[in-house]
Amino acid sequence: MNTTPDEANLALWLDDELEGAELAALEAWALSQPDHLAAREETRCWRLLIAGAIPHSEEPPFPDFFNSRIAQGIRDQMPTPVVHEKKAAFWKSWLMPMAACAGMVFAFWIGTMSETQSLAGRTAEIEIPVIPKAIPVQIVYTPESGVNAELFASDATSPMVIVLSGIAAIPDAMDFSATTYIPREREFDSTAGNGPLPTEETH
Amino acid sequence: MNNPSGEPSKITQGPDGSIVMDVSSSDYEDDFRLVALAQKGDMRAYDELVTRHRGKIFAMIRNMIHQEADAWDISQDVFIKAWHALPRFEAKARFSTWLYRIAHNAVYDWTRKRKIESVGELNDEIFERERIDSASLTTPSGGEMPDQSMVQGELRNKIQAALNKLSPEHREVVVLKDVQGLSYKEIAEAMSSTLGTVMSRLYYARQKLQTLLKDEYHSR
Repeated sequence: MNTTPDEANLALWLDDELEGAELAALEAWALSQPDHLAAREETRCWRLLIAGAIPHSEEPPFPDFFNSRIAQGIRDQMPTPVVHEKKAAFWKSWLMPMAACAGMVFAFWIGTMSETQSLAGRTAEIEIPVIPKAIPVQIVYTPESGVNAELFASDATSPMVIVLSGIAAIPDAMDFSATTYIPREREFDSTAGNGPLPTEETH
Repeated sequence: MNNPSGEPSKITQGPDGSIVMDVSSSDYEDDFRLVALAQKGDMRAYDELVTRHRGKIFAMIRNMIHQEADAWDISQDVFIKAWHALPRFEAKARFSTWLYRIAHNAVYDWTRKRKIESVGELNDEIFERERIDSASLTTPSGGEMPDQSMVQGELRNKIQAALNKLSPEHREVVVLKDVQGLSYKEIAEAMSSTLGTVMSRLYYARQKLQTLLKDEYHSR
């Protein structure tokens, strides 16, 4: 290989990344290139120096905790499963209301049937006594025996006349005031008022 | 090759001197198997995936934003987002590359949000390693000698300080290439960019870093 290799291959060669035929060709070329050989050697030394001073791998502090934090972080960021409700089928849109209505009708029918049956059963079991219809009877109470009383009234709105037979005639000398209450003048405790004090009347 | 803290680097030097990523094919197969289970809602499989990749994602984000507490939170967000995006994941790319892409977006979102808010200082104290109980099961293990660890720690601080001076795009390309060991193609996928752009950014980023770390770089 007499021609100078391209820069990309040269850079790969300097860093020991070339392989196979390309490496062989470049090695043959480099035999007559002491500067490039020295550059490669310098690169190798440099890499050894850096690699020797700085670790390529370094365990993080608290590695177990490190891992558990990652696991926790993954769990925290897991999307909560979303339940996608399936779109209701077409038949459901009309069948479900109809089924509900039919159910209500059926329940109502069952209710009425059970009510009828229970009433029929009850009447069969219990004999209800026939109560005679109440007839209003007008009775006039008379404390004396031998006195008969009769009521006369054409209708409910007309005045009623009671005829008593068998009762003795009332004498003319009878004082009715004894049988009635005559209120007297009230006594006033209060002295208020302009009028004279009430005086007791004598009869 | 060990790092001051964390897992040994998977970037190794081959017998011919080449730098290679040490990733076995069984890793990919296991990833794909677990991804397939997780895509069906298996949380245990996903938890296993988190355990397998949390270190790389956390390290990448931490190297990008240099705030441990925020890196901790952002890393979790990355895995939560990845879970929700898992049904869309196709096995065209590696799972880790796909995660880097989510992490890239998360970091840029955080940066934008941070610029908008620009208020308050976050308290990183709760995550400082010195405060972690040494008897805790979650204590990061370190298999290095104290002096070596200290030297590496100093170097790391210097490199990270230098990284901080780069633009976010240049910093990310260095982190993904030189720290995480991704290929150009994978970086282009992760950053939603073209191969040429990645190559260009990496070239200039390395140039600037090497200038910033001149003393360290030439002493080795």
